[in-house]
Amino acid sequence: MSVAPAKAAPTVLGVRGLVKRFGGLVAVDRVDLDVTQGTVVGLIGINGAGKTTLMNCINGIYRADAGSVHVHGTDATHMTPHGIAHLGVGRTFQVPRSFNRMTLIDNLMVPVLDSSRSDDELFEQAAACLAQVDLYELRHNHAEELSGGQQKLLELARLMMFDPSIILLDEPFAGVNPSLCRLMIAQVERLREAGKSFLLVSHDLTSIYRLSDRIYVLNQGEVIAQGGVDDVKSDPRVIEAYLGN
Amino acid sequence: MNTVLLINGLVGGIVFGAIYALIGCSLNVLCGVLRIINFAHGEFVIAGTFFAYVLLTALGIHPLLGLPVCAVTFFIAGYALYFVLIPRLARSDEPETSSFLLMFGVSLMLVAVMLWIFEADIRPVNFSFDPINVTLMTIPDAYGEGRHGRVVVPTARIVALAVNAVIIIGLTWFLYRTLPGKAMRAAIMNRDAVQVVGINVQRLSAAAFGLAAALAGVTGTLLALVVPSVDPNGGADITLIGFIVIVLGGLGHPVGALAAGILFGLVEQLATVLMPQAAAQMVGFMILVAVIFFRPQGLFGRAALR
Amino acid sequence: MQDTGVARDLRAEHRAQATRRIIWYTLVVAVVVGCGVVPPLGGNLSFWFALMMWVTLATGINFIAGFTGYMPFGYVAFYGVGTYTTAVLVKVVGVSEYLAVPASGLAGVLLALLLAPTLRLSGIYFAIVSLSLAIICQRAVALMPEEITGGSHGINLGVRTVREHGYYAMLLVLVAALGCAAWLAESRLGKALKAIRDDPEAADAMGVDVARSRLAAWCMAALFPGLVGGVQAWFTGALDPVTAFDVLVTAKTVIYAMAGGLGTVVGPLVGTVVLVWVDEIIWQQFPVLNNFLLGLIIALLILFMPRGLVGSLMQRYPRIRRYVM
Repeated sequence: MSVAPAKAAPTVLGVRGLVKRFGGLVAVDRVDLDVTQGTVVGLIGINGAGKTTLMNCINGIYRADAGSVHVHGTDATHMTPHGIAHLGVGRTFQVPRSFNRMTLIDNLMVPVLDSSRSDDELFEQAAACLAQVDLYELRHNHAEELSGGQQKLLELARLMMFDPSIILLDEPFAGVNPSLCRLMIAQVERLREAGKSFLLVSHDLTSIYRLSDRIYVLNQGEVIAQGGVDDVKSDPRVIEAYLGN
Repeated sequence: MNTVLLINGLVGGIVFGAIYALIGCSLNVLCGVLRIINFAHGEFVIAGTFFAYVLLTALGIHPLLGLPVCAVTFFIAGYALYFVLIPRLARSDEPETSSFLLMFGVSLMLVAVMLWIFEADIRPVNFSFDPINVTLMTIPDAYGEGRHGRVVVPTARIVALAVNAVIIIGLTWFLYRTLPGKAMRAAIMNRDAVQVVGINVQRLSAAAFGLAAALAGVTGTLLALVVPSVDPNGGADITLIGFIVIVLGGLGHPVGALAAGILFGLVEQLATVLMPQAAAQMVGFMILVAVIFFRPQGLFGRAALR
Repeated sequence: MQDTGVARDLRAEHRAQATRRIIWYTLVVAVVVGCGVVPPLGGNLSFWFALMMWVTLATGINFIAGFTGYMPFGYVAFYGVGTYTTAVLVKVVGVSEYLAVPASGLAGVLLALLLAPTLRLSGIYFAIVSLSLAIICQRAVALMPEEITGGSHGINLGVRTVREHGYYAMLLVLVAALGCAAWLAESRLGKALKAIRDDPEAADAMGVDVARSRLAAWCMAALFPGLVGGVQAWFTGALDPVTAFDVLVTAKTVIYAMAGGLGTVVGPLVGTVVLVWVDEIIWQQFPVLNNFLLGLIIALLILFMPRGLVGSLMQRYPRIRRYVM
């Protein structure tokens, strides 16, 4: 299934020794992580393992207490989220976060507000993105009028509009019906073919085993195992972390 | 610096501070349980003062005896008011800001009603205590050789402080030792969880609103003891003091408000002793702004409620 | 998908935009003509002046409250500083009104820059701090030397020009505010602000420079009350710290804007015209209950029509959204 990345593929996202504390709690503890171009890197772990916190540190929502984050070789450790976004990092959120009182078209415009392209060109592109997720007919509706599943799709369309080179997906399959889930998996595979890189957070092992080229296992903020799907599957520490206690 | 003035300032600071603490407590019960910032709180307090004033002038009931009546009446009024105002708020886009505006509307209505009934005069509340004043201490040679200074405090203020202390102790006991009190604190920490546990959140919230109103009414009566007059337009200042106290103590943190109230009372009273009046009035707001920027969780609170 | 379909929809989009603009500018022209003919026809200058003033203030607060989602409860501070800037410049420095009013607008923007760090706060904290800062401004003005700000008595400028000049100056400020609002609504900055209002964190993650965009909105929101304050000082010729920094000014501004619908350009205009008119009737019929009814209207609006007249209509009939600026 998964294709081993070509040796020459460059590292697009590099995390070194990242630490994030909340008071006395160490949520992310000296994490090293690499994403090479054109691969899907899975990040698994039980609830509270620090997956979302790590993601928030990478895209700048949280300020890391120690360590570094490099995006395409640029030090992004202390950059703002929008600065990191301009380096080509896009993300989705665990619970879809649409701009509720804006139309779907305007929702899709948000990531390209700085673009030098004309409004008409952007409209055409947004129309294409919405059509891909079957939301084009609702384009004048406000996002708050969509169902939960449609909001997930809207977030996906917004991400396509954004067109980042590195995509962080936080629990994209949580609370999603099977057909939508298949659609999303297909989109991820298509984008990977096109050279995009992914960091995929989930505690749903089936889809992550299917998609990932490489997996990191997080437990209590630390990386306890990493490697190919088969290595991680059989790693006793992983089994213990999931089934132990 | 004159020692007598300074000690007077300190005593006044504690007396007023305890009142501020009570205002902060009741505001914080609302803010914590209901996520409502009550812009009309000062008017609730002033209404309490008017309640005491009416009991005294129309029926001859001493403010101290009127306290329980006031508490019960205000509790019922608050309980009822909750169902009129609050449940619909949940439908708005930003309930917190909307509550602020809604209660501003309520405060305008209350002021108008009080002005309509009592007119714009500042009225004296004439009750009496025997003796009128208590000499707390004598400072030898305060005004030079042989001229002793005496720190004199009106009895009513001492009584107000004592009653205040009893109420605060009672409130703390209620919040920490009784089941409904614990339910309220639980609601402050996590509203959803309380619902899951099977507590009727509507009734609990209404009770919290009633409790806050009752505390405000009682505060108004105590305020009449400390400053024996009543001004229908005085509510805004009280509300602002309440805001300062709850931000200092931590939003939604009833016990933090106690310490903050007393601290603010001391600062304010000492500032009036040491500074020109307009400057002293600014001190509180300056502290407020500084705290919000440098310690937004409040001087005593934890960050949990933000 | 079908390319022709998208091209057709794009044309429809352009037509909707044109319709939207025609409706809006017709409304603006109607307002300008309506207010403009009042002096030659000998109408009640004070009433129409107040109407223009409130429309401008409501439009101004919409930049920050409606588009960006911050509720500045001390909005009156910009207005107060504006009145004092013009009054002091005219009375103490001897500058002409025509220069003093722009300086008032500038003073509003400077104050906004000074208060910019408060934008880090959110929700209720922002509201409380903003309110406190307005009170601090008021006390500070009252504390300044009497020969400059007149202390608690304020300043009496007296009548210096023909009243109509001040009146038309307000009309000019009003038109500028309405034009600015229409521009913002169609601009990309406006979209960035709405995204910030709906979810600042997500907007940030999508590459929107949150701090810079909201600062721009904040300065625009402060410019107009500064200008309005300046013209007000010129038109009425008297001011004091209590009325110049009256929290009721903020409250009415917010309510008028909300009554129409925050976040739309038409909303504040419609809301203000309706409510100022209602206010005038109330004032004439029940002078004692004026504030009571104002409070009641506020409460009813928030409970039953939190999105205002225009906003509720747009919620109920999604089709009209495309034609409402």
